Amino acid sequence: MRYGKYRFIASFLAIPLLLYVVFVVSPYLQAVYISLTDWRGFSPNRNFIGLANYAELLGDGRFWRSMWHNAQLLVVVPIVTLGIALFLATMTTVAGRRGSAARGGVRGSRFYQVVFFFPHVVPLVIGGVLFGFFYNPEAGLLNGLLRLVGFDWLTRAWLGDTTFALPSVMAVLIWIYVGFYYVVFSAAMKSLPTDVFEAAVLDGAGGIRTFVSITLPMITDAIKTSYIYLGILMLDCFALLQVMLPDGGPDGSTEVVAQYLYRAAFTDGRFGYASAIGVALCLVTLLLAVVVLRSGRRDRVEF
Amino acid sequence: MSIETPAPTAAPPRRQARPSDLGSDGPSAGARTLNGVSHGLLVVWAVLVTVPLLWAVLTAFKSDREIFTSPWSLPTEWHFDNFVRAWTTANIGRYFINSTIVVCVAVVLVMLLGAMVAYVLARYEFPGRNAIYYTFVAGMTFPIFLALVPLFFVVQNVGMLGTYHGLILVYTAYALPFTVFFLTSFFRTLPGALVEAAMLDGCSHAGAFFRIMLPLARPGMISVGILNFLGLWNQFLLPLVLMPDDERYVLSQGLAVLAANQGYRSDWSALFAGLVIALLPVLAVYVAFQRRIQDGLAVGAVK
Amino acid sequence: MTRPRPGLDRRQFLQRLAAAGLLAVPGAGVLSACATGGGGPTTAAQGDVSAKNPLGVAADAGLDVVIFKGGYGDEYALFHEELYKKAYPQAQVKHSATTQIAQEMQPRFVAGNPPDVLDNSGAQKIDYATLAAEGQCADLTPLLDAPTVDDPNVKIRDILLPGVLEQGTYGGKFVMLNYVYAAFPMWYSKPLFERNGWQPPTTLDEMMALCEQIKAAGISPWAYGGTNAADYVFDLSLGMSVKQGGPDVAKKIDNLEPGAWQQDVVVAGVQAIEEMVRKGYFMPGSEGLKHTEAQTAWVQGKAAFYVSGSWLENEMKGIAPPDFTMTAAPVPVLDSGSALPVTALRTQPTEAFIVPARAKNVNGGLEYLRLMMSKEGASKFAELTASVPSVRGADAGAGATPALQSVTAALDAAGSDVFSWQVNTWYVNFYKSVLQQQLGNLLAGRIDANTFISTVQSEADKLAGDKNVPKFQR
Repeated sequence: MRYGKYRFIASFLAIPLLLYVVFVVSPYLQAVYISLTDWRGFSPNRNFIGLANYAELLGDGRFWRSMWHNAQLLVVVPIVTLGIALFLATMTTVAGRRGSAARGGVRGSRFYQVVFFFPHVVPLVIGGVLFGFFYNPEAGLLNGLLRLVGFDWLTRAWLGDTTFALPSVMAVLIWIYVGFYYVVFSAAMKSLPTDVFEAAVLDGAGGIRTFVSITLPMITDAIKTSYIYLGILMLDCFALLQVMLPDGGPDGSTEVVAQYLYRAAFTDGRFGYASAIGVALCLVTLLLAVVVLRSGRRDRVEF
Repeated sequence: MSIETPAPTAAPPRRQARPSDLGSDGPSAGARTLNGVSHGLLVVWAVLVTVPLLWAVLTAFKSDREIFTSPWSLPTEWHFDNFVRAWTTANIGRYFINSTIVVCVAVVLVMLLGAMVAYVLARYEFPGRNAIYYTFVAGMTFPIFLALVPLFFVVQNVGMLGTYHGLILVYTAYALPFTVFFLTSFFRTLPGALVEAAMLDGCSHAGAFFRIMLPLARPGMISVGILNFLGLWNQFLLPLVLMPDDERYVLSQGLAVLAANQGYRSDWSALFAGLVIALLPVLAVYVAFQRRIQDGLAVGAVK
Repeated sequence: MTRPRPGLDRRQFLQRLAAAGLLAVPGAGVLSACATGGGGPTTAAQGDVSAKNPLGVAADAGLDVVIFKGGYGDEYALFHEELYKKAYPQAQVKHSATTQIAQEMQPRFVAGNPPDVLDNSGAQKIDYATLAAEGQCADLTPLLDAPTVDDPNVKIRDILLPGVLEQGTYGGKFVMLNYVYAAFPMWYSKPLFERNGWQPPTTLDEMMALCEQIKAAGISPWAYGGTNAADYVFDLSLGMSVKQGGPDVAKKIDNLEPGAWQQDVVVAGVQAIEEMVRKGYFMPGSEGLKHTEAQTAWVQGKAAFYVSGSWLENEMKGIAPPDFTMTAAPVPVLDSGSALPVTALRTQPTEAFIVPARAKNVNGGLEYLRLMMSKEGASKFAELTASVPSVRGADAGAGATPALQSVTAALDAAGSDVFSWQVNTWYVNFYKSVLQQQLGNLLAGRIDANTFISTVQSEADKLAGDKNVPKFQR
């Protein structure tokens, strides 16, 4: 049995790992090596300079400032996104069934399943263009609506305002990602056993009570996974920001690490330094993943 | 907090119950108001999601001048020529077929390989398990554009530059981290009792995976499969460097050319038309598979 | 840049990688190539030099042309390629067009397999300074000394418009041919001004007075795109300064001289902007607009003036009303005692064509550039793009639009009084993340002129001391 187990594990891992090592790990390892050089990216010339890039990174104010913007995105966007997604998923799957074995959810839940996911289908480049128009101070929908309802004092140049530019971008990210996590949570909730809910209803638990003490604990894994994945996306955010605020926003108030990295690589011609930024970003992300996964973790591996 | 053995002490299920039975003895008036409010919120979110997209579709029918001068009104004249222009100048048709070939094969491949890895990582204890898991997680966190140059040489070296199968394998490799990451947590949530029973009946490890766990994991597989499909469909950097021959461009490359042109000569209407052309089939795929999610749940083995 | 190479460390590292089976062989090829370094003798195709073939093109060598397909499209390049095929019927000409220059070309440069002609332009271009510093560009001097296609007694050097040589020279070598001659005037709609009896101002005082009138008429005097193009306003501010103080004002800034930004005329130009901001002469909300959006508001008549390069009309094709009649005027001078006349114009040749140093057909690449500068090639470009090529003798013919006509007239009026600055091409990062950003702050009213000057000066000083950035002088 034991022998069979390891042979089975090896046979399942061999091909995917080979593919992964050749096409992903080896280029990345070479990129890590590049971070130890002064390579400029457009000729074979490069000198090994040890950890000099990393030493420079520690004292690079612009890097830390970008990191701070990522940190804000990392806290705000996942919390709001996952909150809304959980709420919507509960509404359309669990709450509607009120303890019945039927899995209908609220009326029209299939419709919502389809519609909420739409934004995720839109390429980020196009989403950026779309919301650029949305926030346009003159012709944009947002200020137009505000004027319509008489809230003129609220109108502003959203993407040109140091206070509001980053939150404006956050709102777009939330708009895009809610649907994705809505689908994830819905799938998770639907895979939950019905019996528990029926028992809860028999015990007289209300909707909110059921959600907090049954649904939520049972999909903790899905939430954690989602938080990490969304967190990883928030540590990147390159595509959308590069379209909406390519030059780092008003007074650099929205520049994220990935944009700084891109600039170091392609406009400064400092691929070595850019790779060091990339490695640092990768470490921070891994750290996030480990912390979230380890929090309240129970080993659930069986066999 | 445990979810692997779902509520063993739960009351016997009342499968014959219908929602209408419960309506009478169920929620209080307060809960009903809450239900009304939450339904209202579902509608609000659906509106928030659809309005910008409808706007994009309408925009695809406008002239460039109209897009800017009256961005929020209906087109005064329906410009179908935008679509013709997008189709001809961006070669959308040919790129579409290229994308379909590459993405479909890659998604099938990555789902199979990814599920194998995830299953082993989720349900077996063996030396190096965590290392492999975090290597995959790390793959999601590294900015692709730093690895592009080394990757180019790797692909060239194995003689697959500018080929469909080269791009398919690279797509598969780069979609693995996400797939493994999500499916691992999904496999962990599945009950192990069925597998244990099957193994007692003499089923092999691989047999247990293919005959029991894979069907059980269907909702998760479908969700991740769709997300992979969309992610790869919109993948842009990898084909940019690995598919230099414009005969074999994929759709996102074609769209990116259109989008990048906007900074130089505005042809917004063709861009939006191209977007709609690219978007509709993706939406169709999603809507079609949305049904499958429901069907997958109807199998009901999860209970 | 010439640090000693601890080759041992690298070799050990490589061995370990290879032992782990992780290092793909061509990757190793790249790494070992760095031990021998770049440069080296070219193995490029050679042909016999003759009067008809002054650059020694090998008639049967293929030519690989990569064009940036942006605002000018790539139709003009197809025409130039036809010219080449006509001259060398045995040659296979390969045409590719892209917008993602840096990412597509990077592996080819590293692998030593670059194209023979590269139009390195657009937002995704390879940084000029990097390419030049890495020795990736062939010296174009043989081209300068070659006769033109149209007249064997005239050298290419003699038909280039002023500034082209300077713009393409890095480290004393002419390596980039900027093919499009962009001018940077301020723009207005002629009918709108005629209707209101307004005249484009020639001095700062006149402009302030006119702005007041325009504002009273219910129009914003100026618009700009704050989210990505606040730097366009430099053409107003720094333009006035250079015209007032002479070309040396810009030269000091380009050379990162101490106190360059504190020159009186520069300060005066910045203060003028501050005053305009204070008086509300810029369209409200401009700080939240992209350049395309700001330009659209302007052609809709919401603002009277806009500063941009001469590609503006092409960019707004299909959006500007047909009777808008986009018209160019040089920016004003600070006062009548200016060093340069009011007609002086900032020009900057753009659209950088290079012949990569390690191209397989360097001579063919040079020849292609020579054909581009023939009367036939340049005129076709002007006709197709409504833009001015950077050589004399091109004629757009009947295709000349109102904007092109007014730019041509402004260039004629300026004559030799053209000026430019290089800080935007030499130090792109400094330009974007310091100059453009601080100008955005100034325009949005977040800082005043003093803060602008002191911040920019201290950042320029920092740049001057940064050994990671290759420096240039003129």
